[in-house]
Amino acid sequence: MADQEEQNMIDIYVMGRRYRVPEGLTIMTALEYAGYKYVRGCGCRGGFCGACSTVYRKEDDYKLKMDLACQTAVEDGMFLVQLPFVPALREAYEIEDVDPGEKDNVLLDLYPEIARCVSCNTCSKACPQDIEVMDYVQAALRGDVERTAKLSFDCLHCGLCSIRCPADIKHYHLAQLARRLKGRYLDLDSSELEKRIKELEEGIYTEEYEEMLKMTIDELKKCYEERKFEEEG
Amino acid sequence: MEDGYPDHMRKSIEKVEKTRSERVGKTFERMGAEESEEVLNRFHPDYREEGKKELVVGPSKGEKAPVELAQLLHSPSLIDPDEVDLSQIDHDVDILIIGGGGAGTVAALWAVKEGISPENILLATKLRHGDSNSMMAQGGIQAADKEIDSPIQHYLDAIGGGHFTNDEALLKALTEDAPKIMKWHEELGVMYDRDKDGDFVELPGGGTSRYRLHSAGDYTGMEIMRVLRDEFRNKDIPVLEFAPAVELLTDGNGEVTGALLMNLETNEYYVVRAKSTIMATGGFGRLHIQSYPTTNHYGATADGLVMGYRAGVPLRDMDSVQYHPTGAAHPDQVVGLLVTEKVRSLGAQPVNVDGEMFVNPLEPRDVEAAAIIRECYGREKGVTTPTGMKGVWLDSPLIDELEGEGTIEDRLPAMVRQYKRFGIDMTKDPILVFPTLHYQNGGLVINPDGSTPVKGLFASGEVSGGIHGKNRLMGNSLLDFNVFGRRAGMAAAKRAQKAGSPAKLSLEHIDKHTEDLEKAGIDTKDTSPRLLPEYRGKKVLERHLDISVTL
Amino acid sequence: MIQMEDGYLYYPGCTLKTKASDYEESSKKVMEALGKPLVEMDNWYCCGAVQSLATDDIMHQIAAVRTMLCAQEQGERELVTLCDMCYNVLKQANKRMKEKPDELETMNEFLDEDPDYEGQVEVHHIFELFRDMKDEIKKLVKKPLDGLNVVTYYGCMLLRPNHVSIDNTEDPMIMEDILELLGANTIVNPKRTECCGSYHTVNRGDIVENRVEEIVARAAEDGADVIALSCPLCQFNLDYHQRVSDHKIPVLYLTELMALSFGMEAGLKKHKINPRGALKDFLE
Repeated sequence: MADQEEQNMIDIYVMGRRYRVPEGLTIMTALEYAGYKYVRGCGCRGGFCGACSTVYRKEDDYKLKMDLACQTAVEDGMFLVQLPFVPALREAYEIEDVDPGEKDNVLLDLYPEIARCVSCNTCSKACPQDIEVMDYVQAALRGDVERTAKLSFDCLHCGLCSIRCPADIKHYHLAQLARRLKGRYLDLDSSELEKRIKELEEGIYTEEYEEMLKMTIDELKKCYEERKFEEEG
Repeated sequence: MEDGYPDHMRKSIEKVEKTRSERVGKTFERMGAEESEEVLNRFHPDYREEGKKELVVGPSKGEKAPVELAQLLHSPSLIDPDEVDLSQIDHDVDILIIGGGGAGTVAALWAVKEGISPENILLATKLRHGDSNSMMAQGGIQAADKEIDSPIQHYLDAIGGGHFTNDEALLKALTEDAPKIMKWHEELGVMYDRDKDGDFVELPGGGTSRYRLHSAGDYTGMEIMRVLRDEFRNKDIPVLEFAPAVELLTDGNGEVTGALLMNLETNEYYVVRAKSTIMATGGFGRLHIQSYPTTNHYGATADGLVMGYRAGVPLRDMDSVQYHPTGAAHPDQVVGLLVTEKVRSLGAQPVNVDGEMFVNPLEPRDVEAAAIIRECYGREKGVTTPTGMKGVWLDSPLIDELEGEGTIEDRLPAMVRQYKRFGIDMTKDPILVFPTLHYQNGGLVINPDGSTPVKGLFASGEVSGGIHGKNRLMGNSLLDFNVFGRRAGMAAAKRAQKAGSPAKLSLEHIDKHTEDLEKAGIDTKDTSPRLLPEYRGKKVLERHLDISVTL
Repeated sequence: MIQMEDGYLYYPGCTLKTKASDYEESSKKVMEALGKPLVEMDNWYCCGAVQSLATDDIMHQIAAVRTMLCAQEQGERELVTLCDMCYNVLKQANKRMKEKPDELETMNEFLDEDPDYEGQVEVHHIFELFRDMKDEIKKLVKKPLDGLNVVTYYGCMLLRPNHVSIDNTEDPMIMEDILELLGANTIVNPKRTECCGSYHTVNRGDIVENRVEEIVARAAEDGADVIALSCPLCQFNLDYHQRVSDHKIPVLYLTELMALSFGMEAGLKKHKINPRGALKDFLE
């Protein structure tokens, strides 16, 4: 480690208890520096998994803020608590049975509580990914699967939206359903893929594979070095 | 916004700024063959013999592995077999899956498709279901589905990329199954980027001769993983989270018959008896091989290698590790994350703490990485960050000087945004980089159906070896866990449908391992598997009382 | 009335995008034909579907105010709704904000980082536009609805409370006037301003069935071929709950009839009681 004495030390409060930690750490690494070993509340450490949802308040600020512990720098006078689990109800379904083209609003059918949305926008303010959460809930309410899927695409399932919602909406489960509906029903299937699968079923590559598997390393090397790149035409 | 650089780094930046005008338009000379070889030999982690150790126990005795892994393989078990009562079975299942990332989730889904009832499956995972490197993969997934492409071409690209060290049967399976996997994802509703006709938008990747990389925005792994997990939840397959396996169980005759799990919150153990067990624990990035930062998630600590090896599965290609030359080194929030090669292509130069050039920006990847390491640890000319990491500057503002103002923002918008979040404006200040540990190329030996040489045990995903040989191509790991997760799930199901319940559960192989260690004269205080990396502050650990408090 | 240069800024509401898509489709076609197309707002929010009347309940006004704010931020002052419920909720919430500056201030405090709502937007129902375009409508009638006996149904939301009514609360004629332009026979029916049972349809179907039976029985007595209205909830109730009635009178959106008289086919897809029989003389 670098000489800690040279660095600026700041005070943070973990569930009320004060710790002195070096400036420039994330909330996650500051807690570790202070002596916490994560079991819960830590996942990818790179802003992809949503395991480290954290609620904090800064001194002299009345607002509670929300962010990911691994993506937020620690600041002097931060009061911190982690929320590593959100017990939000999820509806099970069979993807084959939920064609949005056959029903008025599949999203509302599975998550009727979205009709309780009063547009307070607390969800969007809680989102560490800056997703317009309220807007996608509103889109879901009117059965707009495409918009719900697109607006929610960056969702990490951290659950902060659902923890804050006064209407008890399960935003991220709703959004997951919408994205799968788009992927399965709204997006067209690839005809190129269909063709390739048919070719594979007909076994048209079997012989080539056999030849390739029989090759010596030198023969393979020659093939590899002589291969043509697509961008070269 | 506060300055993202502390004072001591700011002082070094001033030096970088001073030399910038002299460096415009100049390029550091490329290394000759001799120097390249020397810098690789002395500084590239894969070439450093002191970074590797010969294994003295187990099925791959005599082969080399990174010291950090060897240490775990040469440690006694975390548990004392005498303290465990195996007669009381907590979960009696057809299939036990160890690991809740991509490979484990895919295996479970295909076991169900193969006819195993969901309640006869148990997926046990160390963190939450989905916490994995699968979730973090950004780039894409390879599958040859364009007319100009073919599975054969995919095979050729991958075997060349792997320096012709790949297991050919595994690679055939990988490339041949790829389109089927895409079809399956299509049915599940994975939101891939498509053109207006519904065909996939595909990009080239390093070492691919065709545009073959399918993606879902910048979040390909996350999109695939969350859809798989969603489907898994629809099927109501039982999951135990925060319950890692700590050892496999065997019948005493070399057959795996289940595993011992541990509740990470209560330290209580659970005995699982299973007709088939699938190891899907991922890789070893969090061992920080040779102290490298990593792109890997918190739980990537090689548990599956350790347990599988003790149960008798040999390892392969453990001597090669995938590093990327420029990972972010500061701020801590992004350490280890990739800084794309494009930054150097556009003209940014690597410079040291005094603002001096020391390497051509576009040397081959391994040479570039080694030269950066040499600057930091061979010449002590690196910049130290507040967390004690070292790195060199990538002088990004040069890009605008060379190509005109606004180029950086125009060509690298996502990176600019990422650094801005932490008070760093890469259009005005340089960014700090250091090579980062990315992927475990090798692993447990498997057959094309996902079975290991040990009966009753299957393996898939990063924990397994052979598919990629000594170097994996971009876009083949997301594919790997799908192809071999599926194969392992199906093969495990077939075995479970035929086999009766295992007659015996034992930890005899652990006793044998302890004996082997004694015979080899190894005496260590360490135990393994490690389960979680240690990041607590030094001062706290020095004063840490090793006692447990009970109510 | 002030107008957008190329049409009217339009607030759909959720139901128009799902169950009442016939109403949206026919209204869009009619307005297009009239040269004043409906331009959907860039962003909008569910109105809340029920106007909260409690004097201290500001929270439930917020969704409506957000929609007003969207119009304001889009640079428009006039907003058109089709759904009666949306019209009523938006109009009342807007009025409240205009008339109670202290509540508007509280609202703007809560909106926080969003821009303040300035209280300048006006909410209109599409029928109000038609009232101002009688000549244009008349010109477009290609297939007069000669001989079609139409009973109008207003329900509650267009007329009550009095201060948001689009017409005379007790004796509205706005629909009759339009139908007359289309050439239909209109029958003034005393049940046309009575409640259909509204949201009781969710858990007290019996209440709605009784209300609907009274309304359609009187319409049948008056010789109605079809019933015309604009509220999607009334449409659903009158249409669906006739399943227990001896009567089977098709329940149409006024704009579906307008489209028909303009020589276009629009909507007519989601009706439980198929209207095609009653309309066969006017369909191709």
